[in-house]
Amino acid sequence: MNVATFVAKNALRNGRRALLTIISVAVSCALLISLLTLQRELTTPPESEAASLRIIARNKVSLAQPLPARQLATLDKIPGIVSVSPFSFFGGNFREETVTSFAQFAVDPARFAPLMVEGHILAGTYEDFAKDRNSCMLGADTMKRYGLKVGDKMKLTGTFYPVDLDLRIACIYEGTVDDRNVFFHHKLLDELTGDPGTVGTWYLLVESAEVSNDVITRINKAFENTSAEVRAETERAFQMGFISMLGNVKLLIGSISTVVVFTLVLVSISTMSMAIRERFRELAVLKALGFKRRELFSFILAESFGLAGLGALLGIGGSWLLWSQIDLQKLTNGFLVYFEVTPRIMATAGIVAALLGIIAAIGPSIAVARMSVVQGLKTLD
Amino acid sequence: MSQEPIVEIRELSKIYRQGDINVTALNSVSLDIAKGEFVVLMGPSGSGKSTLLHIIAGIDRATSGKVLVQGINVANLNESELADWRNQNVGFVFQSFNLIPVLTAFENVELPLLLTALNRKQRREQVQTAMNLVGLGDRGHHRPDQMSGGQQQRVAIARALVTDPALIVADEPTGNLDSKSAADALGILQALSRDAGKTVIMVTHDPKAASFGTRSLHLEKGEIVA
Repeated sequence: MNVATFVAKNALRNGRRALLTIISVAVSCALLISLLTLQRELTTPPESEAASLRIIARNKVSLAQPLPARQLATLDKIPGIVSVSPFSFFGGNFREETVTSFAQFAVDPARFAPLMVEGHILAGTYEDFAKDRNSCMLGADTMKRYGLKVGDKMKLTGTFYPVDLDLRIACIYEGTVDDRNVFFHHKLLDELTGDPGTVGTWYLLVESAEVSNDVITRINKAFENTSAEVRAETERAFQMGFISMLGNVKLLIGSISTVVVFTLVLVSISTMSMAIRERFRELAVLKALGFKRRELFSFILAESFGLAGLGALLGIGGSWLLWSQIDLQKLTNGFLVYFEVTPRIMATAGIVAALLGIIAAIGPSIAVARMSVVQGLKTLD
Repeated sequence: MSQEPIVEIRELSKIYRQGDINVTALNSVSLDIAKGEFVVLMGPSGSGKSTLLHIIAGIDRATSGKVLVQGINVANLNESELADWRNQNVGFVFQSFNLIPVLTAFENVELPLLLTALNRKQRREQVQTAMNLVGLGDRGHHRPDQMSGGQQQRVAIARALVTDPALIVADEPTGNLDSKSAADALGILQALSRDAGKTVIMVTHDPKAASFGTRSLHLEKGEIVA
């Protein structure tokens, strides 16, 4: 026998309790991981290096207000801008769906290509898309989800605009942070809507991240005191603006996570206290045999840590396995897309479990340290 | 039996505080115990015999007085030193055996050796020797709940002597045993004293058990009266 065997035998002496403790830690860890992953999904927009090079300019009054198409000439003259494309959200429904999981944007294909810094064409050709104003470029995720292919038709029923689109898939792209979207010709939208001379937003690519702030300032200044003042911001800031519409999700999920962790701490402390309380006499005997406080503390800590560790391993591994196998995008109609259990989230849950093991061991250890051998020996079994 | 004193007690007093009342458990007790003696402490409940045993064994502290065991003043040792000292010098036998239920008999006996520098092989040899000495050499793999009370007490005795301590203290070791098992356990303690030169100090209420000792001391109200 060695110390590890001794600790393991003690930890597993009450099999049912040990199992229930491990399961409660595992379930709580899985819950914590799920909450943290949800929080990440809802509050952290997909990031890419290119996102820092892209700027979105929208109407200063509101995102719903369009911008005049004539602004393009002014934007083209602003130094630091590599490419500008109109970028109008269509918001149509695909097939019979009432809520569609992918967005559709009207763009100028000739100007839009440089903006897709991270993406590449998976099937078909961009040239085909650029040439045919009735065609579209489709994200690989949506293609897979609906079993579409190049040449297929996509019928989109307008919800914002009183028009429908009947698009031919010219090419499939992938490699961007969101491979779900559909891009089609702004000219087609203009035609169908009677050429109102407006765009939803402007989507711009700047030369480098260093000049992006200057470009934003120049754009905002260029349209100051005009009938359509703009608000330019980085793609990331724009996405965060959307997220803020969800309310303080971070605080809400953070609060629930705290409650989960707190409950878990109480459960663990209670379990460890019970486990140690019923062994007071044995611990007194160990003290009599020559075991010191620090050795007894190590035993209790190892036991508590071991149970919490096993639970954490189960919880972390289980939730990782669960969320990596389930197609949440499909289940949630595209509300949750990636739901990625990142190493950082798993490490956070692991640290919480480790701290839990330590905290749960502190109380019983203090009680054992304070207990005299004689007092402990008088404890009833 | 050698006459060399292994335990020297001088003016030993122990006063407990119970609420607002001071209770004198031991009152100026002085006593010498020679090496190899089998001393039996007797007396009514509350007479201080267990308290005296606990102080000699280093699991309780005296209020005043001196306890020298093998020339070491136990009162001067701090908590950590006292734990080491107990591991090396004292073997404990309790009334209710106090074996660890999840460990086998062999592992229970091995427990005090985990604190020593012995390697696994040396530990195994020493445990086997102790188990053989108490006549349970073939029962090492049994857990306490698979053994009779008498066997459990013999395992406890093996655990007490496995570190080869000079002093073995036994607090009513036969209190939970039938007469046959009690005689067996006492016979082992007697042999340890007589043949191996161990000093055994035993607390008991039982005159029959006391007859196994070489000397009986009678305590009343914290004083040795006979």
